[in-house]
Amino acid sequence: MALGSGGDFLLTTVDSVARWAQASSVWPLTMGLACCAIEMMTATAPEYDIARLGSEVFRASPRQADLMIVSGRVARKMGPIVKRLYDQMADPKWVISMGACASSGGVFDNYAIVQGVDTIIPVDVYVPGCPPTPDGLLYAVNLIQQQIKQGGRGGILARA
Amino acid sequence: MPSSQAPPAGSTALDPTAVRPDIADARILRVTPAEVRATLSGLRDDGFTMLLDVGGADYPGREPARFDVVYHLLRMPVTIATVAEVGTPERVRVLCGVPENDPVVPTVSDLWPSADWAEREIFDLFGVRFDGHPDMRRIQMPDDWEGHPLRKDYPLRGVARERTPRPSFALKSNVGAGTPASGKTAAALQKQIAQARGQAKQEPPT
Amino acid sequence: MTTATTPGARTETGGYAVDVVERSDNRMVLSMGPQHPSTHGVLQVITEIQGENITKASPEIGYLHTGIEKSAENLFWSQASTVIERMDYLSPLTNALCYYLAVEKLLGIDAQIPPRANHVRVLLSELSRIASHCVWLGTGGIDIGALTPFFYCFDLRERILDLFEASGGARMHPNYIRVGGLRDDLPDGFLGRLDAVIAMYEPRMRDLRGLLQKNPIFQDRTIDIGIISAEDAVAWSLTGPVLRASGIAYDVRKAFPYSGYDGYEFDVPVRTEGDAYARFLVRLDEMDESMRIIRQVRKKLDAPGPVQIPDTKFAPPPKETIALSMEALIHHFKLVSESFRVPPGDVYQAVEGPRGELGYYVVSNGDNRPWRVRTRPPSMYNLQVLKKLAIGELIADMVVMIGSLDPVFGEVDR
Repeated sequence: MALGSGGDFLLTTVDSVARWAQASSVWPLTMGLACCAIEMMTATAPEYDIARLGSEVFRASPRQADLMIVSGRVARKMGPIVKRLYDQMADPKWVISMGACASSGGVFDNYAIVQGVDTIIPVDVYVPGCPPTPDGLLYAVNLIQQQIKQGGRGGILARA
Repeated sequence: MPSSQAPPAGSTALDPTAVRPDIADARILRVTPAEVRATLSGLRDDGFTMLLDVGGADYPGREPARFDVVYHLLRMPVTIATVAEVGTPERVRVLCGVPENDPVVPTVSDLWPSADWAEREIFDLFGVRFDGHPDMRRIQMPDDWEGHPLRKDYPLRGVARERTPRPSFALKSNVGAGTPASGKTAAALQKQIAQARGQAKQEPPT
Repeated sequence: MTTATTPGARTETGGYAVDVVERSDNRMVLSMGPQHPSTHGVLQVITEIQGENITKASPEIGYLHTGIEKSAENLFWSQASTVIERMDYLSPLTNALCYYLAVEKLLGIDAQIPPRANHVRVLLSELSRIASHCVWLGTGGIDIGALTPFFYCFDLRERILDLFEASGGARMHPNYIRVGGLRDDLPDGFLGRLDAVIAMYEPRMRDLRGLLQKNPIFQDRTIDIGIISAEDAVAWSLTGPVLRASGIAYDVRKAFPYSGYDGYEFDVPVRTEGDAYARFLVRLDEMDESMRIIRQVRKKLDAPGPVQIPDTKFAPPPKETIALSMEALIHHFKLVSESFRVPPGDVYQAVEGPRGELGYYVVSNGDNRPWRVRTRPPSMYNLQVLKKLAIGELIADMVVMIGSLDPVFGEVDR
């Protein structure tokens, strides 16, 4: 469960330690869909190294992951599966919508692509780009960490 | 964003496959659905052992056959072969016209197992059925999808989304070239101009 | 738990029903994917296993269907390459090159492409091939449990992506190849960076080969796994390294040369065993041959030259002339607002992508937008053979087989 209500400042030492621990070990779910997935893999590679931010391992099982990085275009056939995986993740969980296609449908304004994964699941951070450089993804993880340390969810971002 | 400036209708060719540009990419054959299996197995016996691709195309308004199922074959040795033995193999393009009212073509998936998914995809996206296919169901779209998306009369954004209004800044680019301005705006503008000039009689509001 | 329903039907919870097999004799039906760490993308393989042995494998695709071909029909000829590049997203420039070669054939300008443009096109194609094989090798290693090659490969890939970013502006989808040549000439300093990549390649490949090629665990896991005979390879329409590992030396660069490939000296690596290890060796040797071509291209890039055909009906005029010449201004305006028209006709153009023969069957009806862009997706045909390969193998070998076929789902599903 989320510690403290949304948007509050850190109140107790225990809270702050717990949030620091959470923020320092955000483990993403391997949710690679398309081109953005390759840049997500590159973010784990030595040049960008997401492990130094705490995301040491990417868990394949949603039960064991905190962060879902929707990286790539979400096809209509894949939509229910993304939703099911999000539901299977245990709280507290966060979502990064990586890339233009996941954020809004991107280049593909057509019958086959879900126009933004935030129509199916709530998103915490959007990363623009097609694909965004791994730097962008690392910044997004930084923002997630800030949100965790500030307590609760959402912060200044509205939820769909 | 796609631009939809439509060109004048007179410049489009209804059957591009009938135009033979001077490109030496493949030998071209046109067959009817009844001749497909005989032609393709004849070509296979002749050395065109690899079925490169089975694809579809839609030419609405073309008579007698709206759809085209396009087979590309390649002459290929079936045993271990060096670069010199492969050489510059020949390609064949077999175009099979499929009429709109009875879009059925015999399958070739027993001749080439690789035709399985390709034929399913043509069924999924164009609606052309393949007679004798072991597993004729959709492959790309969800199983309960309605409609065949790559047909020309299927809207790009999908049936459901076509009905939703687009933001106003997008509407302008969606207007085809030559479409007259919408009635209400033009009339209101005329009214304003006439009033400003103090000439017009008061038109009853529409 | 589940009732028997026809395979592929929807259940009430929105899932897809699979064949339900009563649990006896250790028989089980598994759905591997579409979210899976080792399926190289969104692939669902509905596997029936008995103990550890696979008795049936049905891959289900379509989880990344993007409607790229339909989108391309609604974009101008030059805009369509933006969506077409996103098909095989591990080597985007290969897709763009094949598409533009087809368009240039329909326009009748394929003989007029300037030599320097062809040299750069070949350079970028071969760099894309190496970058794509780096991803294959890295992820293939991870699937088997070898984590180190992933880091070595992605570091090499980073240097190549730096070159794409320098020349085209973006790491992955630069849209740098255009009708009639390239968008712009190579920037200053590019050749120096290219030399650095060429120098780094040899020691890096030595490291990679040292890590895997004679590694007994790697050999145990890949030798005699997923054997395809030459005859089967042709029947299943396989192309690329998968076909060449089964003994048939068909390479589009040799069979139907394009962009000046007949002017370069390179070999086509071939193996006859047809197993996953043979495919591994063929791809490694292919990377070496690509570097060999790159070295030859590098020598030709020292001489300056134009990179676009001078005909401004297809390629935009140089920016400096737009303020000075009325004709240049008009051509630029027309190209941006209406694009050029391509005479009616159809053409099939193929290139040798990292996965096999990538082909486009492009139809034009005289309009300024493509009428139909049908992709011949090598990954889709290569992946289909999994239905046959998997039978009789262990479930643990499934990831090895998928990895050795090297599918990219942007291309399989489009």
